[in-house]
Amino acid sequence: MSGLLAIYRKELATYFRSPIAYYVVAVFLLGTGYFFLYNVVLTGETTMAGTFQNMGLLLLTLAPLISMRLLSAEYSAGTAELLLTLPLSPWQIVLGKYLGAVTILVIIAAGTLVDLVPLYLFGTPETTTIAAGYLGFVLLGMACLAVGQLFSTLTHNQIVAALLTAAVLLGFWFVGHLQSFQTSAALRDLVGYLSFALHFVDFIRGLVRSEAVAFYLVVSAVALVLSAGYLQWRR
Amino acid sequence: MTSTSAAIALESVSKRYGSTTIIHDLSFTVQRGEIVGFLGPNGAGKTTTMRMIAGFTTATSGRVTVAGYDMATEHVEAARRIGYVPERPPLYDTLDVGAYLTFVARVKGVRRGAMAAELERVTAACRLEAVVGREIYKLSKGYRQRLGLAQALLGDPDVLLLDEPTAGLDPGQIQETREVIRAFGRDRAVLLSTHILAEVTLICRRVAIIDHGRLLAIDSPAGLQRAVEQTNRVTLQTSAPAAALRETLLSIDGVKAVEVRPGPGDDGRLTVDCQVDLRPDVEAAIARAVAARWDLHRLERQQPTLENVFLQYVAGPARGAA
Repeated sequence: MSGLLAIYRKELATYFRSPIAYYVVAVFLLGTGYFFLYNVVLTGETTMAGTFQNMGLLLLTLAPLISMRLLSAEYSAGTAELLLTLPLSPWQIVLGKYLGAVTILVIIAAGTLVDLVPLYLFGTPETTTIAAGYLGFVLLGMACLAVGQLFSTLTHNQIVAALLTAAVLLGFWFVGHLQSFQTSAALRDLVGYLSFALHFVDFIRGLVRSEAVAFYLVVSAVALVLSAGYLQWRR
Repeated sequence: MTSTSAAIALESVSKRYGSTTIIHDLSFTVQRGEIVGFLGPNGAGKTTTMRMIAGFTTATSGRVTVAGYDMATEHVEAARRIGYVPERPPLYDTLDVGAYLTFVARVKGVRRGAMAAELERVTAACRLEAVVGREIYKLSKGYRQRLGLAQALLGDPDVLLLDEPTAGLDPGQIQETREVIRAFGRDRAVLLSTHILAEVTLICRRVAIIDHGRLLAIDSPAGLQRAVEQTNRVTLQTSAPAAALRETLLSIDGVKAVEVRPGPGDDGRLTVDCQVDLRPDVEAAIARAVAARWDLHRLERQQPTLENVFLQYVAGPARGAA
């Protein structure tokens, strides 16, 4: 446990001593602020639904920037040789790093809470729906970061890790659109089930379905198991 | 944990990548209280061997144990007892020196209460006091190298694995680093991979020479020197007629060949190289025979240097025999 905690603290220290975390948080908050203004002030709706939808897509493009350095940077700086020879199991490394990245995600999510102030001042939004939306956002982000960490584990090159992650995440996001082209019901279900976007829409509507929660958690877990397995295998 | 008493033990270790075998059937041990030098040309397999002992990579076959723990199955237990300095110091450039050392110490299980004293101990040993608050990317090469050594000393390991630890240091720093290694090696085990042969002669009790992934020899530096050369050379300077001198020398038991040349000055003296066998009393016999008839100005027996030993092993005739 102390090893995992040490990795976690080192990750956070590293994030905030490099410009990437500040950049990601700033771009995300600016972007969300813009979408919020557009969706709420211009259209006059007093829900977060439209803003959450945009936050999801924004997250897909920024999550790869958070996750790309997780192991790629360790390989290219030669510090993997330290990390993998310290008394640490692959699991402690993978989870410590993952929790560090998830903390950045939570900081981002917390930052957007500012947008709720005018919403509550000038309207009567449904708190449970908003809470469900945030839960969905964090779960979606966790899945994105786990996939990103897997690609970062597989390559020395941070740019390659980020590009592969973005491609895969966008694929998972838009795969739902293929539903209307499928004639077989089974394929339609499968495509719908794999879609990051369709599960997220449920949360935005205020619907916390255990199936959707499980989906994001399973995707995260599979990606993390593969990362830890790869670290063990590459010895 | 097994009963083997060696601090580091390799038993028939091989490493293959695909169809290429990097390390062939390597076996040797390092005992506690021993500093063993690890010599070999570039690409000989030194770094791969170090990485297998450190647990960065695993052996394809054979067994590596450190402090009695099997690196393949008890890696975490073994890692607690290893301090490892890779060829390239594994540093996080964005952290400062204190934060970096604290991170490594935490992972190695140094308790919160003992942390300050432990950091102080290694920063003092590696002369890093002046840069504790500095970001690592601002450090000079010498400081980076010593910080790499400092992290390895954290947590008081039983075994130090050092891959070229003095590369990039100035002569003063090299001396200090050797002192740290020597002090550590008094009661614990050190495996030191290096290109600097003088370093090996100065601080290592034994030397392992490897090339093409095979162990060619392991012995004390003096033992290796004895094994490599069947003859020594005795060089003398004298003022004597060349023909008579040659005849006198060749009549001495143990002198195998004589080569006479003029010089070094223009005062008529001669310089003579004699190939002699390894008996220690040969040079005394030469000295007596020459001094009895002529003036003997200088006489010395030339030992093979470790450089010659090394070259003989990795490129010379000894290779076939090893």
